[in-house]
Amino acid sequence: MLKILLPTIMLVPTIWAVPAKYLWSTTLSYSLIISLISLTWLKSSAESGWSFLSPYMATDPLSTPLLALTCWLLPLMILASQNHTAPEPISRQRTYITLLTSLQIFLIMAFSATEVIMFYIMFEATLIPTLVIITRWGNQTERLNAGTYFLFYTLAGSLPLLVALLLLQNNTGTLSLLTLQYTPSMQLSSFADKLWWAGCLLAFLVKMPLYGAHLWLPKAHVEAPIAGSMVLAAVLLKLGGYGMMRMMIMLEPLTKELSYPFIIFALWGVIMTGSICLRQTDLKSLIAYSSVSHMGLVAAGILIQTSWGFTGALILMIAHGLTSSALFCLANTNYERTHSRTMILARGLQMVLPLMTAWWFIASLANLALPPLPNLMGELMIITSLFHWSWWTIALTGGGTLITAGYSLYMFLMTQRGPLPAHIISLDPTHSREHLLMALHLLPLILLISKPELIWGWTA
Amino acid sequence: MHLTSIMMATSLIIIFFLLAFPVLTSFSPHPLPSNWALTQVKTAVKWAFFISILPLCLFLNEGAETIITSWTWMNTHTFDVNISLKFDIYSIIFTPVALYVTWSILEFASWYMHADPNMNRFFKYLLIFLIAMIILVTANNMFQLFIGWEDVGIMSFLLIGWWYGRADANTAALQAVIYNRVGDIGLIFAMAWIATSLNSWEMQQMFTLSKDFDLTYPLIGLIVAATGKSAQFGLHPWLPSAMEGPTPVSALLHSSTMVVAGIFLLIRMSPMLENNQTALTICLCLGALTTLFTATCALTQNDIKKIVAFSTSSQLGLMMVTIGLNQPQLAFLHICTHAFFKAMLFLCSGSIIHSLNDEQDIRKMGGMHHLTPFTSSCLTIGSLALTGTPFLAGFFSKDAIIEALNTSYLNAWALFLTLLATSFTAIYSLRVIFFVSMGHPRFNPLSPINENNPTVINPIKRLAWGSIIAGLLITSNITPLKTPVMSMPLLLKTAALAVTIIGLLTALELASLTNKQYKPTPKLSPHHFSNMLGFFPMVIHRLTPKLNLALGQTIASQTIDQTWLEKIGPKATTTLNLPMITTTNNIQQGMIKTYLSLFFFTFGLALLLLLY
Repeated sequence: MLKILLPTIMLVPTIWAVPAKYLWSTTLSYSLIISLISLTWLKSSAESGWSFLSPYMATDPLSTPLLALTCWLLPLMILASQNHTAPEPISRQRTYITLLTSLQIFLIMAFSATEVIMFYIMFEATLIPTLVIITRWGNQTERLNAGTYFLFYTLAGSLPLLVALLLLQNNTGTLSLLTLQYTPSMQLSSFADKLWWAGCLLAFLVKMPLYGAHLWLPKAHVEAPIAGSMVLAAVLLKLGGYGMMRMMIMLEPLTKELSYPFIIFALWGVIMTGSICLRQTDLKSLIAYSSVSHMGLVAAGILIQTSWGFTGALILMIAHGLTSSALFCLANTNYERTHSRTMILARGLQMVLPLMTAWWFIASLANLALPPLPNLMGELMIITSLFHWSWWTIALTGGGTLITAGYSLYMFLMTQRGPLPAHIISLDPTHSREHLLMALHLLPLILLISKPELIWGWTA
Repeated sequence: MHLTSIMMATSLIIIFFLLAFPVLTSFSPHPLPSNWALTQVKTAVKWAFFISILPLCLFLNEGAETIITSWTWMNTHTFDVNISLKFDIYSIIFTPVALYVTWSILEFASWYMHADPNMNRFFKYLLIFLIAMIILVTANNMFQLFIGWEDVGIMSFLLIGWWYGRADANTAALQAVIYNRVGDIGLIFAMAWIATSLNSWEMQQMFTLSKDFDLTYPLIGLIVAATGKSAQFGLHPWLPSAMEGPTPVSALLHSSTMVVAGIFLLIRMSPMLENNQTALTICLCLGALTTLFTATCALTQNDIKKIVAFSTSSQLGLMMVTIGLNQPQLAFLHICTHAFFKAMLFLCSGSIIHSLNDEQDIRKMGGMHHLTPFTSSCLTIGSLALTGTPFLAGFFSKDAIIEALNTSYLNAWALFLTLLATSFTAIYSLRVIFFVSMGHPRFNPLSPINENNPTVINPIKRLAWGSIIAGLLITSNITPLKTPVMSMPLLLKTAALAVTIIGLLTALELASLTNKQYKPTPKLSPHHFSNMLGFFPMVIHRLTPKLNLALGQTIASQTIDQTWLEKIGPKATTTLNLPMITTTNNIQQGMIKTYLSLFFFTFGLALLLLLY
């Protein structure tokens, strides 16, 4: 565990000590080495589920893919931010990379924590660097508003969680994830118990985000700089899903009925946010809303509490993490060239950036869950588990897949196809850096097809 | 493993490898040579065809079928998905047919697309399209089938939208994917039902386990899926729109890939389908409706490719009728024979379109029989095969279908509709020949007419041979799985032929009417109905997107997200807290009087409390 965490922490002094000339290359290669080492977690031979145990941290099949994703994303964020921070003074560039690194430190500790309170603290701690990234490094004044939304939505959800956790600690005497599932289940009957149930999940549902509590997400995505959008879509939202899966074990008898409205909300959200995507003119907002739609499916899969649902949710989280991050990067390549997120201003790009079109196409296909990409495996498993619960869900999930295909291809056609408008004929050519960035996003996704049990979670 | 099955499995895997090889090598960073399309892709498909003859011979000789299961792909508790290939009668016969047809189409495409700077990419797309179809055909579990199923959809998106600078091409491409996705909901529903009820996606297990279940709902799901992919009534408008793609794409899409996938799915699932009368009746009525409706639409079209496209749609309806008659093998036979003459019809029309300087309107053609004798002869052969002229390819499948229909005790309305559609086939086929080959030229005098190019002649010739003898070859070599009815009254036996001839005569009479005027104006509303495709696209393509986009904008975005959720969430927090903050704030404005009075007030209050 510390093999990854200590090098990540030591990345901070490295950032400040390294000569300016080598800043980006050093941090990139350093973080890439960390992420390559983190892949060893995927090869676990432990029978009990938990491996790499230390007093406070461990990995299990649920957290390992998310940890590997977290570590994988830091080099990608560094790669993506290089161009747009280039005009800044060097110390600010160092600060920026430090922020990104601190986010990785917190996230590793959050995903590998064996104690719920530690997870909670790290869950909250990730807010700080993210908030700074959004409000300090965003491009427009609306970023301040976005930061406020982001902070207050998340805090309003997570403070009840603290109370709920303290109550749990009081009742069971432990909050260790290693033993928590073996503690006798609590007698939950009163109205207050139901509130406790809601308190345990609300923080994560807001983080996911559940439809209804999702307003912060499009704002944050639109205003954040590219690295912020990437990490937000790829990993931070997954904290919600991960936390929910961990908490679900303890909430056993109550969840069966209480989760109904949330499942309905999540599925309804798939349709509604998908429909919003169909009308988006803002590229980043479209991708953000599509995240809400996909995470709605994840939330429903988790709340349904079957092994198929959990597995599907984990697969979809990983696949969506890579896909949406790739889409944000693609949107950013457009943004860096046209300085606008408006789709109508940057269309017909296949003419000028033909190889980028290939990346756009693969990313759009991943977003609409083309078989056999892991996105489809996840969606199909969630749809099946929901279908097992109630037949009517197929109307919402099936409609969702239809709308997803609609807006994904709308996005692709709008940006890439059609004639090239005259005002953008003199664009910068694509850099190898950008192609590398896209390849590093999409290759893992494609390679996961051949060995999906890496992200299969508990049931692999 | 037995020697025969080893040989079969090996040769089929070699086919996959041969087809995948050009695709994989094309990813190397070196630019492809300009003749890559012909030397690599076409050769790969050609050799794959020759190799696929071997398992076919083994099958014909020994009746050998085999299933290869290797490598557990995913596993959740007791549910596992394997890589499993099924080489049975359907895939063994279909693969050579598809490869043969594609080989010809690719050769033709090298002539048709020779001016396109991205011809290599075009060939790569066609090849992936074919591979996806073969994955679908050989799949032995639902997940693999789904891979092929979706991939043909996406490849058709790329190929239909090949000329991506044109808005129409992009619309048509998107339309194809969206209609197919509607069908996919059905497939996903069926897959979810099968996974939850039967706990397996392996076909043989599904068929065994499903005996005790009421399969109506999952079968309806599968029928919806087939409706989307095979353009049955309700989800049909994407097929004629797909004509925006280059002609070789249409040829491939209509003959051996994509559109037959839906019918093929139902053929694959026929062990589940055969005992369910509700599902069969739905198939029968849906098919009959489709075949008549699209044949009616074909009657008044003027675009040569659209007519051929609608005739495909009509034949797909006929195949669906056959599924409904519980004769999956006959439907499969029709897929095979149809592939030959439909591919040829498209290649002929492509050749004519090119010769006439990209003119697609049949009213501006005419007299082609003297100018392009070979192409127009083949066009005639194809049309004759399509109408079921005795002893051409179409006859062996189509006539058998109509006979089976006539001798069954099923829905008489479906029978009537199908027969009517059969006679319409003769009408629109004659119309194409009449306008294209016969009469006098009506095009511009300086058209670059030249069919004397081996890459035009040879593919069409090969397909013409196929259209002539394929039916005989296939029917005389495969064993029918169901006993065909051999004896029937003369009227029923000759019904298919009779309605075709009646259609032909009516069409000739109508054609002669065009030169004479009996009425001041003809009655136009039936013409409008047919010409405007039954007003279906006008209604559906406006109404549904309008409703959905209005939902997205007005309700989801403006009313809920931007108004209500803002109002009861962040804005409510502000408005609730603001009055209190203002009150407290107003007090503390540095005015000593307020502070002092507050101080004395509290002091007095505390004093009072202390004293009492």
